[in-house]
Amino acid sequence: MALAPVVANGVQHRRRQIIGWVLFGLLVALIPFLIADTYSPTIFGNRYTVGLGNLSHAIALMVAILGLNIATGYSGQLSLGHSFFVGSGAYLTAVLVNDFHWSYFSTLVVVVPALFLFGVVFGLPALRIQGLYLGLLTFAVGAVFPSIVRLEEIADRTGASNGLLIDSDLVAPSWAPLDTLARWLHSVPGLSGRVPDGLTSRQSEAVYKYFLLIIVALGCFWLVRNILAGRVGRALMAVRDNPLGAAANGINLPAYKTLSFGLSAAVGGVAGTMYAMQSGFLGPDEFGFNLAILLIVGMIVGGSATLHGAVAGGLVIQFVPHWASQTQTVPGTDIALQGPYGGVILGALLVAIVFALPGGAATGFGRIKARLMPVVHQPPHR
Amino acid sequence: MSPPSAATTSTPTAREHAACEYLQVRGLKAAYGNFEVLHGIDFTVAKGQIAVILGANGAGKTTTLRALTGMVVTRGSVKLAGEELVGKSTADIVRCGVAHVPQGRGTFGDMSVEENLLAGAFARKDAEVRADIAKWYQTFGVLGERRNQLAGSLSGGEQQMLAIARALMLRPALLLLDEPSLGLAPMVTRLLFEQLAAVNATAGTTMLVVEQNASLALDVASQAYVLEAGEVALAGSADELGADEGVRRAYLGY
Amino acid sequence: MFLEVSVGIIGTFNISLDKLSNGELWLAQFFRGLSDGATYASLALALVMIYKSTGFINFAQGSLALLGVYLAYVFSVEQGLPVALAVVCAMAASALVALGIERIFIRPFPPNRVLPLVIVTLGLLLIIDSSVGIVWQFRTRNLPSMFPDGAPIEWGIAQLTWRTIGNLGTVFLVVGLLYLLLSRTKIGLAFRAVSSNLESAQLVGIRVGPTLGFGWALAAAIGTLGGSLVVPDLLLEPSVMLRVLIFSLAAAALGGLDSMVGAVLGGLVVGLARNLLVTFLDLSELALATAVAVILVVLLVRPTGLLGSTHLERV
Repeated sequence: MALAPVVANGVQHRRRQIIGWVLFGLLVALIPFLIADTYSPTIFGNRYTVGLGNLSHAIALMVAILGLNIATGYSGQLSLGHSFFVGSGAYLTAVLVNDFHWSYFSTLVVVVPALFLFGVVFGLPALRIQGLYLGLLTFAVGAVFPSIVRLEEIADRTGASNGLLIDSDLVAPSWAPLDTLARWLHSVPGLSGRVPDGLTSRQSEAVYKYFLLIIVALGCFWLVRNILAGRVGRALMAVRDNPLGAAANGINLPAYKTLSFGLSAAVGGVAGTMYAMQSGFLGPDEFGFNLAILLIVGMIVGGSATLHGAVAGGLVIQFVPHWASQTQTVPGTDIALQGPYGGVILGALLVAIVFALPGGAATGFGRIKARLMPVVHQPPHR
Repeated sequence: MSPPSAATTSTPTAREHAACEYLQVRGLKAAYGNFEVLHGIDFTVAKGQIAVILGANGAGKTTTLRALTGMVVTRGSVKLAGEELVGKSTADIVRCGVAHVPQGRGTFGDMSVEENLLAGAFARKDAEVRADIAKWYQTFGVLGERRNQLAGSLSGGEQQMLAIARALMLRPALLLLDEPSLGLAPMVTRLLFEQLAAVNATAGTTMLVVEQNASLALDVASQAYVLEAGEVALAGSADELGADEGVRRAYLGY
Repeated sequence: MFLEVSVGIIGTFNISLDKLSNGELWLAQFFRGLSDGATYASLALALVMIYKSTGFINFAQGSLALLGVYLAYVFSVEQGLPVALAVVCAMAASALVALGIERIFIRPFPPNRVLPLVIVTLGLLLIIDSSVGIVWQFRTRNLPSMFPDGAPIEWGIAQLTWRTIGNLGTVFLVVGLLYLLLSRTKIGLAFRAVSSNLESAQLVGIRVGPTLGFGWALAAAIGTLGGSLVVPDLLLEPSVMLRVLIFSLAAAALGGLDSMVGAVLGGLVVGLARNLLVTFLDLSELALATAVAVILVVLLVRPTGLLGSTHLERV
């Protein structure tokens, strides 16, 4: 089953990496057409219906976890209120689109710097407040976001408790050949059963949103990867592993801590914009304490301080509760299920991961990959 | 360091005590994770005697004491008065009568001096705890004066005395002391060792001391061991080791 | 100019002089603040107990209290026990649950690594809250108070109700008993020794695991008691303790996470601040936000709370 070992960074290794990425890209491009109609597999005797919108939502959550990872995973500042940034980004986008008739994408011009600033302000207390006290503060800030949105004074902008419908719909532009592509894929043997012959306007809107979100997400991951791979990333990790030692080695502690919060919040804000793009409707409770905890779950379960962990985490926190909410009986039996046991599963998953696989799913993937596709490291040439 | 010269385990002194070897350590191994620090050491301490362990930094002295009280993963055999200690939990080893004064004193800083002493008697069930506290207040006079003060507010020397008094509150069969002189002024160190010798003389407590101040330790001790890289390099009576060329050069500085 | 701005600012908060000069209203809100504060204090006490002994915040403390309060509801309303007895039974039950949780989920971790433990408590929060939602659904219920209705002392609208007196009395009783337990008993000595220095506690023969388990059980019982005090003022539903938890965290942070006296003072201050600010600044939606503001301001001025101890660290 396992492939032959290859030498790290050798030609074969590169080739394998490239093939891997191409396959991944094809999969990402193919999926929206496969589930443009809803996809309803039966899992353990329970029908589970998933739409493309759910996947798009998961992509927004991936970016949110990516943001959380910057402050918490990489820099070690326990933030239990990341939902605050996601919510702020979402509402800022919604207000700009609704009341100022901006396009979704152009709102990023405001959301990113505004949320960066938010994060910096948020990070200022973090300079004095450390560890659990910071966790406690951020926990409270996260929990308070819904009640701020509900304030009567800003109800005409935020919709308060009623939620906020965003006027602008994202419609696939005429130049985007989504329909043609679907027809072509339909003609590919083996895919015709799954891909519809041409897209309805609702489907093409969903597919279009999916690709938009993929592009934004790729941009975010690429930027964060580049920032963290260099000097800034090393400094942040030094701050995480030994703050005093890092300071003693000339790392400007306050600057990097605030920077990490700023970046974290900015990426969180982009996730909020993506959320607004995807759903078109915002409710205050969607950005409360529950989301903050979910993001922590996603970060830990996926693997903190890893990029692909954010991807896995986003999928987990989107689909585990979603699947659970549709499941009527205990898998494999007739015992009826009712209530929020998605939360039980996520909580159990979180505890289990901390127990069994402290590096999260990313470490697990790494181990499996190392087993199936071994890479040997060669000593440097003399 | 030179290989064992005149001093070996089969010295006359050691043979005299062979019948009443109180603490008997055989093939003791200890590891932190995968990193083995003690590679199977053997030594004995006779009842009522003071033994000292000398050695360079990282030789495994502290680990030896931690192994005796089950604070690290341990293999081998440790017998106290014939009872096997390896495999027991720290709490159970303490109940066998082993008191351990850890390096850096480890007093309960936010509890009063008296509460520290009470905690030291935690494993005891008899009714003479109060009487013992009064007794150690007499021996360590400064503790009596500060009985209601928080332990964290005491000076280094006072904290060391408190740590020792707390250990003695167990009425230990074996007292382990990890660098009692660390960070203390020479005068205070001398006083401390005099008091240890007095306790040993009056209560007959067997003691195993890890100490950097070799000359002072060899003065009060009757047996001595030199640890090197996790193995016993030298063993003998304190006088023999004190006279040993290698020990003198390495630890006594003359 | 300055005056205009000030009047403008005050105007936005809807402060009316009528309200401010109304002594009875002040007194009424003062009493309500004390009553709320007492309930926050008891959950804060539970948080402090865990923080003191283990060095981390048990974010599942509110959930354990939630479970306890539902059990109190079952014992009193469904099984017909007197409320006080039902609360005592629920305290015992939640203590048992906490004992089990500590044994299974907490003890396997090395006690000095805080972050994994915090994450585990977040997981427990999800598990317990969701389980309560599964078992009791989301219908709101009323938990009766342990104390009689009515008020022995009244000044117009200001009432010192039996419930306020009872809440305050309960909290002070709990603090008094805790003090006696910790300073006069052997298990209390062990608990304090473990909080103070884990390794030394082992070296004097204290069994650390059971001692910490005892701390968890005690904290859960106190939390359940606190929940049983606060929930009669609210409605019993699965998310009720989450909001209380925020106020209690604020109280604990205010007092310093490792000070029991601080937790009680913090609880009373947060309770008073909440009621007075909300009434006189007309911030009903921002009751939660006032708690957060309290946490923020206090931590900025004193990063370890008002009565918390500071720690020095060397590289």
